[in-house]
Amino acid sequence: MTRKVNILRAIRESERNGYWFILPYVIFFLLFVAYPLVFSFILIFHRWNIVTPMEWVGMKNFQRLASDPQFFRAMFNTFVFLLIHIPLQIAVALGFSLLLYSRGMFRGFFRAVYFLPVVVSGVVVTILWQNLYSFDSGVLNSLLSIVGIRKIPWLIDPGLAMPSIAIMATWKNVGIYIVLFLVGLQNIPKEIYESASLDGADKYSQFFKITLPMLNSTMVLIVALSTIGGFSLFIEPYVLTGGGPMQSTMSGMLYIYNQAFYFGHMGYAAALGFVFALVILAVVLLQRKVVEAEPS
Amino acid sequence: MITLFRKSTIGLLLLVCLSACSERRDSSAPHDAAAITLTYWPAPNPEEIQLADSIVKMWNRMHPLIQVRMQPIPVSQSTEEVLLAAIAGKTTPDVCSNINPVALREYTQAGGLVALDKFSDFDSIAAARIPKDLLPIFKNSNGHFYQMPWKTNPVMMFYNIGMLKAAGVENVPRTYSEYYAAAKKVTRDTDNDGQFDIWMGERDIRPIWWERLFDVYPFYIGATNGETLFKNDSVAFQNVDAEKVFGFFQHCYDKGYFPRTFFQGGDPFLLEKKATHFAGPWEIATLSKFAPNIHFDVAPLPVPDDHQGPVYTSGDYKNIAIFSTSEHPKEAWEFVKFLVTAEHDLLMLEITNQVPVRGDLLTNPLYARYFSKNPMMVKFAEQAVHTRGMDTVADLKEIFDAISQEYEICAVYGRKTPAEAVGDAARRCRAIMEWNQ
Repeated sequence: MTRKVNILRAIRESERNGYWFILPYVIFFLLFVAYPLVFSFILIFHRWNIVTPMEWVGMKNFQRLASDPQFFRAMFNTFVFLLIHIPLQIAVALGFSLLLYSRGMFRGFFRAVYFLPVVVSGVVVTILWQNLYSFDSGVLNSLLSIVGIRKIPWLIDPGLAMPSIAIMATWKNVGIYIVLFLVGLQNIPKEIYESASLDGADKYSQFFKITLPMLNSTMVLIVALSTIGGFSLFIEPYVLTGGGPMQSTMSGMLYIYNQAFYFGHMGYAAALGFVFALVILAVVLLQRKVVEAEPS
Repeated sequence: MITLFRKSTIGLLLLVCLSACSERRDSSAPHDAAAITLTYWPAPNPEEIQLADSIVKMWNRMHPLIQVRMQPIPVSQSTEEVLLAAIAGKTTPDVCSNINPVALREYTQAGGLVALDKFSDFDSIAAARIPKDLLPIFKNSNGHFYQMPWKTNPVMMFYNIGMLKAAGVENVPRTYSEYYAAAKKVTRDTDNDGQFDIWMGERDIRPIWWERLFDVYPFYIGATNGETLFKNDSVAFQNVDAEKVFGFFQHCYDKGYFPRTFFQGGDPFLLEKKATHFAGPWEIATLSKFAPNIHFDVAPLPVPDDHQGPVYTSGDYKNIAIFSTSEHPKEAWEFVKFLVTAEHDLLMLEITNQVPVRGDLLTNPLYARYFSKNPMMVKFAEQAVHTRGMDTVADLKEIFDAISQEYEICAVYGRKTPAEAVGDAARRCRAIMEWNQ
């Protein structure tokens, strides 16, 4: 009996130590995740501009949202960005990972080079691309002028601005997806390729019948990650275009930011953020269902 | 020897610690523990800091018992953000001299400002300094004055004399038609690449709300003979004059007189890539410093062809206010009066090249010497009488953002007619005002 009590006390003591160990994270979580979440949920039903006292408005923020064409335009722009960005990201990442996976020279060097933009600050990358895309003094237009081609209004033409941002975002993030694809490729057993070769399958068939299906789970992860990342498109339009031209690069996140910190509509921005989070969840679940349903 | 070294080291460390702990005093800091201390925030640009420093030093010498500590407004994206954050955190200064009337409603709604007309001598001070017809525009909708009008930067048209002459333009354009005629001569492709590289004018085409304070807004005031966008807190700009303004810019972009781009390779006026530029008097110092060889002058903004009378423009006012957190509002008011004396207005002209809001600028002999030395500033002083400020309605930033977007669609990209764009802008502004009521 005494031995049993001692064992229980020892367990409780070890548990106590465990609680001490997780305490810093719990404090961090409560302060920076739980509290803002609860507070923003309360904000949804209020009007508040930080300086004046909070005012209860009930569902008025949602009524405004339902009749706010600017928000729907921002959502549409975000989907346009995703439609360009995700396929481009996957194609480029897969292409480079296949090149790196094949036994080429300087593999390690190239892996590091492709990963470099990922670790560089988003604002720095955006300012760099601002200098590339600039109409009057940009590097790209200077090169085009040398070969006798007219300057392209990369960030000024409403039809070109979002694709230009998507290309930039792809360049910035592709490194991380190359690494993920490389891990996926390394996990495919070599025996499958050997037996396929013996059965007479060429490289083309091997890629479509073995490589792509075997990368399905990696693909699901990459699509989900780039969708969530794409929905949080903010720095690029904020720095490059301010949401223009003609609102063509006003992303959902930028619109929420403007409402909150530019116009001081904290409650409305919280309502927008809530709906935005639901949309992201719905899209990611839908994507997962579609990609997982693909025959492997 | 070792003991001596140890003692010296400890002594040195103590000295360093003591000097680090002691408060740094500047010349404008109070030196009497019993004195009242007021905090004063001027704009954070070097000229205004220099002006504030000079005035505060004089005040502190003359008022040993009411000392003023000058601290430039903390640098941020905008003064308005800093002041709103300070109101929220109750860390506002006693006095600030960079109050933009655009944000005044937000400050007063938050109960952040002291009504200046509660001081018995406000009316006489204001009447002695400010032109009679200008004063009412600074009155809040609740009938009180929360700002002492201080300085104005009338938006006018700078023009490059050499570029206009080289293109064969003899007279400075005064109307839209004259501007188009001049633009047709000036705008050209010098390197034969099929794209214009010299333009009549240029504006930042990005839909940034405050950019409209230097094109649409002053042009609207000019076209309407001094009307502003709102009347009795209601939208009042859905009219033919607003359509004319949108139409003017649409025509300029459509014909290529303005480039449909924003420049990153330097200011095109400094680089002599555009012949006209809409700005306030601060531009004189910039041009003199960075492009001393450019021969330029200023003129009123172009107006519609059928315009009659003087040309009005936007004043881009910055005013003085006392914050309600002040524990010594009476003393703060004394300091405000000290800031706006005739002598300190002269100091403002001399140091900052900005125009004090005074009715007697061109008649008071005190300023005669300055204006004879700076003849271009005479034009700004003349224009200052015909300026308008901002309406004190709520959510002006959001309203200007909506106008900016409609302007961009219509003027820059030509996807809407001026009537459609003005109508849509008015509808959006009404919706914003209704939602935020």
